Amino acid sequence: MAATTLVPPPVQDDTFLDSNELVLNMGPQHPSTHGVLRVILKLDGETVLGADCVIGYLHRGVEKIAENRTYQQFAPYVDRMDYVAAVSNGLGYCLAVEKLLDVEIPPRAQAVRVILTELNRLASHLLWLGTHALDIGAITPVFLCFREREEVLSIFEKYCGARLTTHAFRIGGLQYETYDTFEKDCLAVCDLMQEKVKEYHDLLTGNRIWVRRTTGVGILNAADCKDYGVTGPVLRAAGVPWDLRKAQPYSGYEKYDFEIPTAKNGDTFDRYIVRMQEMEQSCRIIRQAVESIPEGPIKGKVGKVIKPPPGEAYVSIEAPKGELGYFVVSDGSLNPYRLRVRPPSFVNLGALDKMCRGTLVADVVAIIGTIDIVLGEVDR
Amino acid sequence: MEQLLANPYVQPLILTAVIILVFPLVAGYIVLAERKVLADLQVRLGPMRVGPYGVLQPLADALKLMLKEDIIPSRADKWIFWLAPVLSTFTALSAFAVLPLSDRFYVADVNIGILFILAMSSIGALGLILGGWSANSKYSLMGSLRAAAQMVSYEVPLGFATVTAIMCAGTLSMQGVIQSQFERGVWGAFDNFGLMLIPTALFIIAGTAETNRAPFDLPEAESELVAGFHTEYSGFRWALFFLAEYAAIVVISSLCVTLFFGGWLRPFPNVAFLELPLSTVFPVALFALIALGCLKGVPRQAIFGFKLVMLALTGAFLLLAAMFALPVTNEIVIGLFWFVLKLAVMVYLFIWYRGTFPRFRYDQLMDVGWKWLIPISMGGLILNGVVQLLARS
Amino acid sequence: MENIIKTFLLTDLLKGLWTTFKNQKPSKVVTEQYPLARPPVAERYRGAPRLNNHPETSETLCISCNLCALACPEQLIVVTSERNPETKRKDLTTFTYDVSRCMFCGLCEDACPVDALELTQDFELATFTREGQIWDRQMLEEGPLPVRYTH
Ligand code: SF4
Ligand code: SF4
Repeated sequence: MAATTLVPPPVQDDTFLDSNELVLNMGPQHPSTHGVLRVILKLDGETVLGADCVIGYLHRGVEKIAENRTYQQFAPYVDRMDYVAAVSNGLGYCLAVEKLLDVEIPPRAQAVRVILTELNRLASHLLWLGTHALDIGAITPVFLCFREREEVLSIFEKYCGARLTTHAFRIGGLQYETYDTFEKDCLAVCDLMQEKVKEYHDLLTGNRIWVRRTTGVGILNAADCKDYGVTGPVLRAAGVPWDLRKAQPYSGYEKYDFEIPTAKNGDTFDRYIVRMQEMEQSCRIIRQAVESIPEGPIKGKVGKVIKPPPGEAYVSIEAPKGELGYFVVSDGSLNPYRLRVRPPSFVNLGALDKMCRGTLVADVVAIIGTIDIVLGEVDR
Repeated sequence: MEQLLANPYVQPLILTAVIILVFPLVAGYIVLAERKVLADLQVRLGPMRVGPYGVLQPLADALKLMLKEDIIPSRADKWIFWLAPVLSTFTALSAFAVLPLSDRFYVADVNIGILFILAMSSIGALGLILGGWSANSKYSLMGSLRAAAQMVSYEVPLGFATVTAIMCAGTLSMQGVIQSQFERGVWGAFDNFGLMLIPTALFIIAGTAETNRAPFDLPEAESELVAGFHTEYSGFRWALFFLAEYAAIVVISSLCVTLFFGGWLRPFPNVAFLELPLSTVFPVALFALIALGCLKGVPRQAIFGFKLVMLALTGAFLLLAAMFALPVTNEIVIGLFWFVLKLAVMVYLFIWYRGTFPRFRYDQLMDVGWKWLIPISMGGLILNGVVQLLARS
Repeated sequence: MENIIKTFLLTDLLKGLWTTFKNQKPSKVVTEQYPLARPPVAERYRGAPRLNNHPETSETLCISCNLCALACPEQLIVVTSERNPETKRKDLTTFTYDVSRCMFCGLCEDACPVDALELTQDFELATFTREGQIWDRQMLEEGPLPVRYTH
């Protein structure tokens, strides 16, 4: 070993010769930190003693941008936070502003909104499944998931003209009428999913390597979830049946019959199962919504110029990743006075350290995958 | 000329040169096959742009790798950094010396051939360890630590499985093993009333681990360790590691084919009436069909150069078919044909795993190795020994 | 007992292997060979902008109302006009559109009262220079001329 090239540490503390601990910098350029997350790991061999997240590499100041845009103009920007679930973001934002304006959304618009957000949940969960499996080393599911996701995205493309950053909803309702084969396409996706979920189960659920890699890894029990404010599938996997679609229904979710999948242990495998079941429940909701889609106008009574009365509103919805909240303060002008987003990924990521301690390096990537973060949303 | 060829050193030397020169190309085509098969498993197409259906991709890859900048990290231990890929490649290619490619193509028929291969693959692990350590990067270090632990643990079940096969064959020479399978009229894998299937399965599993292939590809687990032990390698050095990995795959697969699947013997080597259909009709039909497929592909290519490549491929496969049709040449190449075919099946198996399974975790890998594979392989050895003793006495 | 047999026969792993094996059917391939075969794009696709002319008179439809520029969150549209003394209406002189900053949200398109500005199905917008991304009126009317990929 070329000892001469080693730079001695500036201060020789007691732990200098303690070669057990190793600080490993994972990211921001790392294949499986899902973007530009940087995790500083303290390791003892391969065992993780602690994890520290460094975020902000994708910070674009979205909340500040909102203060300089009119209410309509800001709508496309929310798509760029959680870009794999852009429709949910759009829904949350529109609902918040609509609450400020106190407008009534026509039932047809509500039904279409539900269909699109549930499709988006499918797309988001599919992307999660593919990348999560890829993190654990199974390289095939990601392609299969993208194949199915493609079907969902092509519905978005046909409906509103964009696949990822959809800008599908407008304040007060919808901009676009559904296209001719909309209903048929949605039902086709549901049928397809039912068939393909079996394939994923064959590839992963029964596979002993997958089971061993995920059971007992990254356990977060219900009490911890509540302490950390963790929501979404991670919370439900810990056995808490908390879903905002049931707890405080919005957009007419109370009309649909579906279940909240939960699990007991709160480990990676449970979260996997919960999300797989959620996809099936989403299909169920889409089926019901498509069949009962009412006729009528698609936009409520909002003017060309949106000028909410002074006040504030907080609306949270159940995004694919957890509770997505929008807090809008209006001073009566054209622009929001302040806008604050409660992104589920950011809050859920806070529990990473808790989940990682005592696991191995390989588990850290599995845990990052299982929290299902999108860095656009974490950093905003 | 006659005299020269009679010299016992000449033929091995020529063969060695051929192997060393040709193997990089072969490795390139194994990589292409891997990419294509993986793509098939994953509903994709794989490389399609360099040449028709991407058949010239390996050449483009090789060119790219040679032209890439060769980066040595500033804090690296330069000599060891330099030595590691050389060591890996050297050991992996040396093992080729004892591979019985056919009844007449082999560099050497040493009476401890199998031992030599195992020894070389153990030393090969050293290349990985040194490479990871010398790069002075934490990811590399962890990759090489994993490599060390993995190689040591999986060599044991691999060894036991091999010993079982040797016991069955009664010799350590590679040609001898094949000869004994010919005499007993059954492939090693199905000997001892099918009990040899246990070591066969174990050998395949442990061999996958020994060559660091998925699902045991922990030393280079790209989703955890970026690229494991070769994180810091680039350009041609990296290509050498790659070459070594594929050489190791070929060696382990060859060993498996030799020990358990009859090496260059055709299936049912002792059933005389199968000689014509299996040794002549089958290869001729196979290559003729491939040639026909290539010919059909000619009009589908839009570019003139691609059409030429397709035509050349058609010609080459027709030539091969002709070679197997003529009894004189058939006799020379038929052994090689069966060996390569079996090898291809093994390599396909390796790729198939990779396309299907998630990766093990480090501790689970050790768990599987020590708690399952080693006891089972020992049990298999004892069982086979007892059965063999009773059956053959 | 059943479980033990399953464990040793690796049935779960074989099931996965069979799943991937089935995928090898050539008809299952979903790859699109993009530059060679262009994927169909939905009718409502929001791609390259276009300034529509009247189909018969081939005069521009734009009435220079500037609504699109006001609607755009990125403020990347600049419309200038001259008042025509005869017809007392505004005539369009220049229209610039900075595609590099556009996020194709469609707000400008929605805002236009006469459907002059439209986002079309064209999606190949790459240029060799940054300046090439700033489209003037002529380019907006004629559509982009990207460097097409040939093999
Ligand atoms: S599409 Fe959106 S960003 Fe682009 S010019 Fe129109 S309004 Fe502006
Ligand atoms: S909104 Fe339409 S009519 Fe008005 S300036 Fe823009 S393109 Fe012209």
